[in-house]
Amino acid sequence: MHDGPVQDIFAALSQLQVLERSLAGDPAAQQRAAQAVQLLERALGEIRNFIGAFRPPGFERRALGEIVEGLAVQHETLTDQGIELDLPTDLGDCALPTKIAIYRILQEALANGHRHSGASRQRLTVDRRGGAIALTVSDDGRGFDPQRVLASEADVGVEGGHFGLRGIQDRVAMLGGSFAIDSAPGRGTSLTVTLPAE
Amino acid sequence: MIRVLLADDHAIVLEGLRALLDGEPDIKVAAWTTDGTEVLKLVQQHKPDVVVLDLELTTIKGTEVIAALRERPSAPKVLVLTAYNDGDSMRSALDAGADGLALKTESPQQTLTAIRQVHGGQLVFPQAARRWIEGRATSAPGDLTPREREVWRLVAAGLTNPQIAQRLGLSDNTVKFHVQHLFSKLGVKNRTEAALKYAHGPPR
Repeated sequence: MHDGPVQDIFAALSQLQVLERSLAGDPAAQQRAAQAVQLLERALGEIRNFIGAFRPPGFERRALGEIVEGLAVQHETLTDQGIELDLPTDLGDCALPTKIAIYRILQEALANGHRHSGASRQRLTVDRRGGAIALTVSDDGRGFDPQRVLASEADVGVEGGHFGLRGIQDRVAMLGGSFAIDSAPGRGTSLTVTLPAE
Repeated sequence: MIRVLLADDHAIVLEGLRALLDGEPDIKVAAWTTDGTEVLKLVQQHKPDVVVLDLELTTIKGTEVIAALRERPSAPKVLVLTAYNDGDSMRSALDAGADGLALKTESPQQTLTAIRQVHGGQLVFPQAARRWIEGRATSAPGDLTPREREVWRLVAAGLTNPQIAQRLGLSDNTVKFHVQHLFSKLGVKNRTEAALKYAHGPPR
């Protein structure tokens, strides 16, 4: 999403608040201006909830660890669900397509964990194992039956899947990585993905 | 009176903010520009207390402007004003050493509040940014030397290296040395992060 509407609404709100103040002698008109302010603030609030998710996060400029940190902070800011982040200091960087895939996979996995687990926090681990990058996203929330979910997603296609697990699986397969999910109703969820770094 | 400089590519945003700020009894807009390369010149000319700056300037990177401002002997406070509440904006603002972050997706009233807060010496960042910095320490605050703790306290109070040197009766270079060690022990990149960390858990 382009930030144009945000700039416009923010500017309009500034002007309206000046106007509202200048209408002190006319309470009815001032009331109307105050209402308009409230409406625009509400519109801004709704935009705030998704604008961050559509911005390219600087893949060329930032190393893998920074991208992952940014994603964790973004998740905490947008959801109030905590992320316990485990990143080695010597993680280093990886090839651009891998980095983008890792970002999308983690974005999807964290969103799943937020929407479905009911847990107050998720644990996110990224590690280097030889020539590969390993990701684990886990929670101690309500869990689910992975076989059933993957089977139901096969019917509705990549984008229509309820959990987006199939999307993650396809992305991993395309890059020659591996994918494992460990979950059961009432037992939490742990998703592990391994991708070649280069 | 808080003297403010506004820098934003969006002329409509500048116009709106300028009107709003000038209506406040304790704030005066000293200068404004849509051209990021003008900021340093205008700061030199008008000596504002607070610079409000969008990171997405077309002519120059907002982070470069902040870094250049930080080099000045009496640096103004810097409030980053951005449309994006994502990790990238937060990290850029922190990395560059800004004093705070305000969002265009919040009411402009919040920007006013943030201007007063950074002017008063507060660091204004979302809670998530604090947690993020917390998680990066390479050693416990207990590993700091007494001198480093003293320097940390003064950095957190917003003092520059020359001011700290004067306060502690040390040379500028000695202070620089302590600051470098302090940052590396705390796992922080700059004064802003060190100060945020101090606010979160000062040395015991």
